Amino acid sequence: MEKKKLLEVINLETHFTTEEGTVKAVDNVSFTVHRGETIGIVGESGSGKSVTSLSAMRLIPNPPGKIVGGQILYYPLEGEPIDLVKLTEEEMQGIRGNEISMIFQEPMTSLNPVFTCGDQVTEAIKLHQNASNYEAKIRALELFEKVQLPTPERIFNAYPHQLSGGQKQRVMIAMAMSCNPDVLIADEPTTALDVTVQKTILELMNDLKKEIDASIIFITHDLGVIAEIADKVIVMYKGKIVEQGSALDLFTNPTHPYTKGLLACRPPLDYRMSRLPIVSDFMDVEMDADGNRTITEKEASLEEVIESVKVKPEATKARMESLMAKEPILQVKGLKTWFPTERNFFGKVTKYVKAVDDVSFDVYPGETLGLVGESGCGKTTLGRTLLRLAPAKEGQILFQGKDVLSLNHSDMKDLRRDMQIIFQDPYSSLNPRMTIGNAIMEPMQVHGILANDKERKEKVVELLETVSLEARHFSRYPHEFSGGQRQRICVARALAMNPKFIICDESVSALDVSVQAQVLNLLMELRQKFDFTYIFISHDLSVVKFMSDRMIVMNKGKIEEAGIADEIYSNPQKAYTQKLIAAIPKGKTEDIISRLG
Amino acid sequence: MLFYTTETYLGMIRYIVKRLLYGIGVMVAIVFIVTSIIYNASVDPAEMTFGQRADTGDIEAKRKELGLDQPLYIQQLNYLRDVSPVSFSSDELNKKYQPILSIPLGNKQLVFKLPYLRESYQSGYQVSKILKTKVPRTAILAFFAIFLATLIGISLGVIAALFHNTWIDNIAVVVSVLGYSLPSYVTAIILALFFAYYLGDYTGLSVTGGLTTLNDSGDEVIVWSNLILPVLALGIRPIGIFTQLTRSAMLDVLSQDYIRTARSKGLSTFKVNFKHGLRNALNPVSTSITGWFASLVAGAFFVENVFSYDGLGLETIRALETYDIPVILGVVLFMGATFVIINILSDILYAFLDPRVRLS
Repeated sequence: MEKKKLLEVINLETHFTTEEGTVKAVDNVSFTVHRGETIGIVGESGSGKSVTSLSAMRLIPNPPGKIVGGQILYYPLEGEPIDLVKLTEEEMQGIRGNEISMIFQEPMTSLNPVFTCGDQVTEAIKLHQNASNYEAKIRALELFEKVQLPTPERIFNAYPHQLSGGQKQRVMIAMAMSCNPDVLIADEPTTALDVTVQKTILELMNDLKKEIDASIIFITHDLGVIAEIADKVIVMYKGKIVEQGSALDLFTNPTHPYTKGLLACRPPLDYRMSRLPIVSDFMDVEMDADGNRTITEKEASLEEVIESVKVKPEATKARMESLMAKEPILQVKGLKTWFPTERNFFGKVTKYVKAVDDVSFDVYPGETLGLVGESGCGKTTLGRTLLRLAPAKEGQILFQGKDVLSLNHSDMKDLRRDMQIIFQDPYSSLNPRMTIGNAIMEPMQVHGILANDKERKEKVVELLETVSLEARHFSRYPHEFSGGQRQRICVARALAMNPKFIICDESVSALDVSVQAQVLNLLMELRQKFDFTYIFISHDLSVVKFMSDRMIVMNKGKIEEAGIADEIYSNPQKAYTQKLIAAIPKGKTEDIISRLG
Repeated sequence: MLFYTTETYLGMIRYIVKRLLYGIGVMVAIVFIVTSIIYNASVDPAEMTFGQRADTGDIEAKRKELGLDQPLYIQQLNYLRDVSPVSFSSDELNKKYQPILSIPLGNKQLVFKLPYLRESYQSGYQVSKILKTKVPRTAILAFFAIFLATLIGISLGVIAALFHNTWIDNIAVVVSVLGYSLPSYVTAIILALFFAYYLGDYTGLSVTGGLTTLNDSGDEVIVWSNLILPVLALGIRPIGIFTQLTRSAMLDVLSQDYIRTARSKGLSTFKVNFKHGLRNALNPVSTSITGWFASLVAGAFFVENVFSYDGLGLETIRALETYDIPVILGVVLFMGATFVIINILSDILYAFLDPRVRLS
């Protein structure tokens, strides 16, 4: 049966006017979506994938953005194709939410906090389908049922902040599906969620795809996710489509070097690597004065690159033995961090959240200990408690033999110099009004490291170079940097203290897979160079496994399973660990073949 | 339709009780600080009650009568005993207190009463009576001013935000900056001069005048037109502030992800801006409005003085000039209580407007 065309994007050009000149966010992009098809658009931040989809919704913020050329043809079931680019705003309002609807990346902020979830879903139904309040409510409850929300009636009356991230995203999906749209655009719908929740959302979308007659445009930076859902894949790089084809072809036989880079940079699960391959292993990009890029492909094949960085199991074993031979640098015994949640009338605590509940472990010098679990499992609180950024209720923390919990103020200051933490969000952990040079220098001044500012400045430049930035970046402000660069700056700031021990709290979770690989490689290099000890906290088991010698799986404040990272992965003992491992998108060709039948 | 738990209610009540206790602490502190300042001034309040012709004996007697010969801390404690709704009392004091309930305890009594604010040194009227007649006049003034400011300020703010970076936005910003930069007594004088003095023949407004006046047959009648200029003078600063606040809140809200969601549903621009946008932008503005209402009661003092509007402000200035301590203390305490209560109310209002605040 010949598939019917549904959406045809022809030579789309969307430009943004900035102070530095015009940015071609979408540059001559053409593709076709057929009825019943799921298209994956993949690329890193700034590749134009989101702008393409927002162009189709005509939701490009104007100014600064504008669709300057091309057509977006929508083929309704009956009648002539409509060019969405030419519609007036009023005509477009009839299409949005009705014919084409969209699910956004951030379920936390994409729902209006002052209206109930029910209100927000029925709003679109009442608008497009002339339904009464009662009919709209019945329909909304049906949809909640369909997206597998527990107790639909309760969710209907709940405000967004009362739901978990996964539940909010289900509400968003229900909202997007409420008027039986022809096209469902999902813009990174699972990126902000835990892997386990991501898996359930992906399963839901696959189920819904069979049930409703909609096409899905699924946008993501992670090829692993694409493998779980898409029939056809479009790879975008800097506003252009560099490769498109069926999912199977793309995974078995990628032709463009950028695609190869994206495929290779995901942390592998079945073997150990000394470093992750990155996009620049496959291609060089040169930009001329006019901003035109020339891409030169390198000779290396995907297999060759991966083979060159693989680590032999014997080497891993030898490393473990030499690590464990030393005395532990950090010993944690029976640690509890409880937060009060309910108080009686007189303010006496009647209920606690046991964020960390009786946790004991050792960390050896030079080792990387991974800490993995879903959001809310207590891993972040544990990391903060070690630095006394969260109050411990009971237990003991010994750092180099000293009892951390009983240190006085000035000893604590010394400890905070030796133990550094790198936070999750590189966007909010840098002061926007401070140049990055000063941001790195500030803790050195506080702790009186080096004699004067001149020496400190030299040190900062050296640090910037260590994290692959340049001396000229010293006097720039955070907004001038990309997410990956900002996280490097945060790393440099931590390094400024000459620490022995670094806690990385979800340090790469906010980054694209391709950028994540670069930051992970940097952390690995630094470990070798300075002999750091890390505690690496993440919800992503594949990342933790890549980084760690040993790992701890946490669940509900307690240690579920602990041991050598490779062994836990290959032979998980607990159901919870197995669930975490199963949830990771593997991006394997066998899976695509079995999914597509 | 909301699912409050018992804990939420308990938490709310505990919070309010706590705030009220703090409020009482604030009031006690006000009494001590203000009395310390007034009683240490080089003016003798007793002397002030006599005017020009007084001999030392009379003044001495008056000092004794008013209790001004006592050490400061005794006077302060006595005052506290008088204003506290619960205090120990004697039969003699009870004549002034007129307690609601009194429990005999030996030769003293534990009484529950309305705060006794004493009597004016000058007129001899009870301070609570004075407050009762003057407060409503100032409250009307402040109420109309805040109403005007809310209406105009929010409208201007919304318009400025919707026309962001255009000339309309620029004008709104300039006007609002000008509005809140001018002290209210300056605006008051400018308005009085312009609309009542120069243009008085056309506008029919008078330069000075209170809310009420006596008509030909000797009855007290309300002159609403005397409110116009004081309300304008008082309202201009909050208009400026509310415009700025609404504008920045609205700009912030319009850039939020949920606005994009609302647009992606196909809602009309009007619904996106007002239902989803303004409703969220109003949360911070509304708490500021309640907060400003309390400040306006205070700001009214200057404006009332310029227009000779016979409200609380004019009365207070009269009291200050004559060192009428009970009136001064009464007004200050009343203002303090107003601030405490309005701040608690504005917190409750915020919890009502923003569902996210309710649970925490």
